[in-house]
Amino acid sequence: MANRVVVTGYGAVTPLGLNVEDTWRNLIAGVSGVGYISLFDATDFKVKIAAEVRGFDPADYLDPTTARRNDRFAQFALVAGIQAIDAAGLKVDDANRYDIGVLIGSGVGGLNALAEQLDILKTRGPNRVSPFLVPMMIADSASSQVSIKMGIRGANFGLISACATGTDALGVAYKMIKWGEIKAMVAGGADGAVTPVGFAGFTQAGALSRNNEPQKASRPFDMERDGFVVGEGAAVLVLENLDYARSRGASIIAEVIGYGATSDAFHITQPMESGEAAARAIELALAGVERDEVDYINAHGTSTPLNDASETKAIKKAFGDRAYKIPISSAKSMLGHMMGAAGAIEAIVCCKVINEGIIPPTVNLEHPDPECDLDYVPNVARDGDVRIAISNSFGFGGHNSVIAIGRYDGQ
Amino acid sequence: MNVFEEVKKALCKANPGLDESKVVSSALLKDDLDIDSLDLVEVAMTLEDVFTLTLPEDEMENIATVGDIISVIEARLKVKSG
Repeated sequence: MANRVVVTGYGAVTPLGLNVEDTWRNLIAGVSGVGYISLFDATDFKVKIAAEVRGFDPADYLDPTTARRNDRFAQFALVAGIQAIDAAGLKVDDANRYDIGVLIGSGVGGLNALAEQLDILKTRGPNRVSPFLVPMMIADSASSQVSIKMGIRGANFGLISACATGTDALGVAYKMIKWGEIKAMVAGGADGAVTPVGFAGFTQAGALSRNNEPQKASRPFDMERDGFVVGEGAAVLVLENLDYARSRGASIIAEVIGYGATSDAFHITQPMESGEAAARAIELALAGVERDEVDYINAHGTSTPLNDASETKAIKKAFGDRAYKIPISSAKSMLGHMMGAAGAIEAIVCCKVINEGIIPPTVNLEHPDPECDLDYVPNVARDGDVRIAISNSFGFGGHNSVIAIGRYDGQ
Repeated sequence: MNVFEEVKKALCKANPGLDESKVVSSALLKDDLDIDSLDLVEVAMTLEDVFTLTLPEDEMENIATVGDIISVIEARLKVKSG
């Protein structure tokens, strides 16, 4: 029998704050987290902007040894993971440590460590490469470090689907709980790849906005959009079997009600123009519920010319005429693209929208694109009574992943 | 160069949270100083650079205490000067 799955806690480290509350406050105020790159010297780079996590000092949260042995993305994951577990009031002890798992995905893993050690390999030779390169580089270190830190002994693994990673991690965690394999999962995504080689790669692939006015560069669904803005951070949710959450008296934030994933089978970086496979992912996520109850869509909305047009088509395919009536917004207009963490922070945004009754805007939507003609909640947040919210995430490789989150009915 | 002081510095670099007063010759790397096998590789690299020598892997494998590291280094220094 299928179990109901609920959200009982979350945590985040984002370009708009070092926790969920600060991030949310900035999102509904329409604040942009994009600025000039400070993490490396971008003088020679065509793109000089990013949505960096600012004011993050690992020493504020982690002992010096743990901080030093973790790449930036895993530091973010540890902090967001601990916040989430604390917020859920989930005490890990001998009675439950095998009933809880961790699944925090990362799009690229420890690119900082890899780049640094490649330099050492070239300049000082193989005998000076750090023994910590591999443990810092492997993308599953985000999950493993949380498992070690918290003493969690259920399933522990990572998952990779580029920019859809966060949503897929939540989706897989949801299914594991739904089908009774585990009682609770600490799930989400983390990336911290504002590093010269990664940045150069994205730039050369033509994916990034060349707009050098930082706060204006991420402009999803706008006629003048020209690419995404690299972001970073982590977002982690605690998902639980409803019965388990109730048995321990947890307060329930929202219910995960569906997940769908498909593949474009088309191109490694370009989305399928028709949005057909993405529409199918939306339909799968909503298989068990009334599609008319979807009152909010958190778009993937990257601000690339191709994504925003094909995503709009996908939404129309999935919802028909009702597509025009559903408020849609892109958190990436303010957070930039947090890569593997994007889907997870956007799922948290869906929870907040449902519980707070406020829909964050899509900022910089100043020149509507005829191809993007839905209601993207331009520039200013608005009130909204949302029963079900879905979050779309798509990724290089053709991944289409959608998670559906509903208001918890208290029963 | 004082071998003990350099070993202490290398250990503290590998484990920044380490309480320096715990670094004594008889201290067990793993149990007393929280220095694991990966840290030890890093400690060895640091000391190889400081003393301009090579610490043989087979000798490093049998190391358990701070004193053991010092012994290996002193032996290599003798070979070097001899």
